[in-house]
Amino acid sequence: MRKLVLETVDLKMTYRVGKVDVPALRGVNLAVGEGEYLAIMGPSGCGKSTFLHIVGGMLRPTAGSVNIDGEELTAMSDGERTDLRRRKIGFVFQRFNLFPTLTAEGNLKLAERIYSNTNGGDPSRRREVLKLLRLEDKIHHKPLELSGGEQQRVAIARAVINRPAILLADEPTGNLDTENSQIVLDMMRGLNNDFGQTIIMITHNPEAAARSDRVIEMRDGQVVGSALPAKEVIR
Amino acid sequence: MDNLISANVAQRPLRTAISVTGVALGVVLIVLFVGLARGMMRDTAERQANVDAEIRMFPSGGMSLSASTLVLPTRYTTAFLHGVHPTLEPVPPIPGVVAASPVGEWLQSGTGAIGFETIDGIDYKSFIQTTHVTMFQGRPIGDGSAPGSENEAMVDRYYASNNKGVDGAPVAVGSQIKVFDHLFTVVGIYEPSVLARIKIPLHTLQQRLGGADNCTFILIKVEKPEMTEAALAALNHSYPNNNFVRTEDLPALYARGISWIEIFLNVVIGLATVISILVILLAMYTTIIERTREIGILKSLGASKGFIVMSIEKEAALISLLGVAFGFVVSIICKYGIEASTRLRIDLQGRWLLIAAAIGLLGGILGALYPAIHAANLDPVEAISYE
Repeated sequence: MRKLVLETVDLKMTYRVGKVDVPALRGVNLAVGEGEYLAIMGPSGCGKSTFLHIVGGMLRPTAGSVNIDGEELTAMSDGERTDLRRRKIGFVFQRFNLFPTLTAEGNLKLAERIYSNTNGGDPSRRREVLKLLRLEDKIHHKPLELSGGEQQRVAIARAVINRPAILLADEPTGNLDTENSQIVLDMMRGLNNDFGQTIIMITHNPEAAARSDRVIEMRDGQVVGSALPAKEVIR
Repeated sequence: MDNLISANVAQRPLRTAISVTGVALGVVLIVLFVGLARGMMRDTAERQANVDAEIRMFPSGGMSLSASTLVLPTRYTTAFLHGVHPTLEPVPPIPGVVAASPVGEWLQSGTGAIGFETIDGIDYKSFIQTTHVTMFQGRPIGDGSAPGSENEAMVDRYYASNNKGVDGAPVAVGSQIKVFDHLFTVVGIYEPSVLARIKIPLHTLQQRLGGADNCTFILIKVEKPEMTEAALAALNHSYPNNNFVRTEDLPALYARGISWIEIFLNVVIGLATVISILVILLAMYTTIIERTREIGILKSLGASKGFIVMSIEKEAALISLLGVAFGFVVSIICKYGIEASTRLRIDLQGRWLLIAAAIGLLGGILGALYPAIHAANLDPVEAISYE
């Protein structure tokens, strides 16, 4: 039995839009084991991103509980959730979200500095990640000097540089062409295989989901299917 | 570039330049205005110090330190020495008084219409008995009543070496300078500097101003310094409606008389602080709006509110530091430019440079506080979704 790094119980989230309550999550129960590579699929508006933001400590849920690597998130203050995000979560976004003024290495060092509050970081870890993501010759380039695929690889490197318990990826191939998508997906698979990195990935792309260990399907704020083998998604 | 702070500063060179200039403006305001005020006060104090007379008499109705009218009868000088009252009953001579010299003062626009300059009308023979003045070059001015002597002038060495005559050449013996819009011939250069730098015959000044036989104040010299108190008492007793002031008390009276300068300087300092705060506040607030998404990225990386506040504050401090340095450079250039083209003196004191630097830096840091707190409190999901 794998150790659980994420467990949500009856997780609910309701947005207030004007005078109307709009439910985004209607009681999500999910358990993710350490080293698991999970894909979440579902139509737009089904609550995938809300779920990811709550799990990443960026949103406070309306009800339910979220346990990240042994720490209960829902009872935490904003500052405590920020601290947990810093220590245990890595984010990858569809739009890369790199700092345009910094080089690839500068983006990595910034994440290290936020994590450790020092300028040193871990050079061996940095080399290891850059090698795996094949970015060694790109470290002095700024984002605008890199292709989309390279930018997303830098974003992934930044997300995992501090060994987060969970890597949360929100449509990581959504802005990439097929070739770069394949490269990025290969590398995420490599991170999971080589480093045992736990990954939760939101995707609309069945091929991307097929690279994962398990696929969760969400509709109307609920998990409607889970533990589906990737091959069934493809089929 | 691997440092977020310096990278952000370099990313928008125009914004950075405007912010730096804004902070520099505040620094320049403080450094130059304070320097100007201090320079003028020091210059005046130095020139007052070369007066040898122990007592100064001002007309009744108050002491005017920048008088430019001739209302005090010069006949008092005779009265002090020989006991003849100029208008009423004869009184005994003032014991201990050995010399008295009437001085007329007139203010005219400074060189290039910047500021003012004072012209002294003196009676040279009595003037040298009450001051340390000696001739460095040329000869003293005449009494102004003899033909040809009415348009004579003598200047101090500072004036001669820092000014040009009407012909554009440096002032020397024989040069012509403009006083009352009339040409005066420099017949001598004296030292040290005492009172006004330009001196013309008192008689000429009286003719020009229509204040015949009057002066602005009278310098009174006593035989020995220890006789000053007795002389003062006698003067006050014999001439109760006039003001007699000990020369050594003048600096304090000057300081009291120009207390408005302190108020003015405080206003300048306040203004400079407000400028620094506003410039940085606007610049950093604009920056925060522009970089909302980047702040969202920082939050997604787990940056605490303190980290975000410090990042923005460090950026503001860097801009302010550049502004302070730029302000110092501009101030120094302005100092030499102003001193070269006018007779104004600017005194750059280390203490005030430090105060200006502190105000520039603190103003910048304070100005960035609101944008920094605003950024730190942004909702992370909204910030990272910001278009």
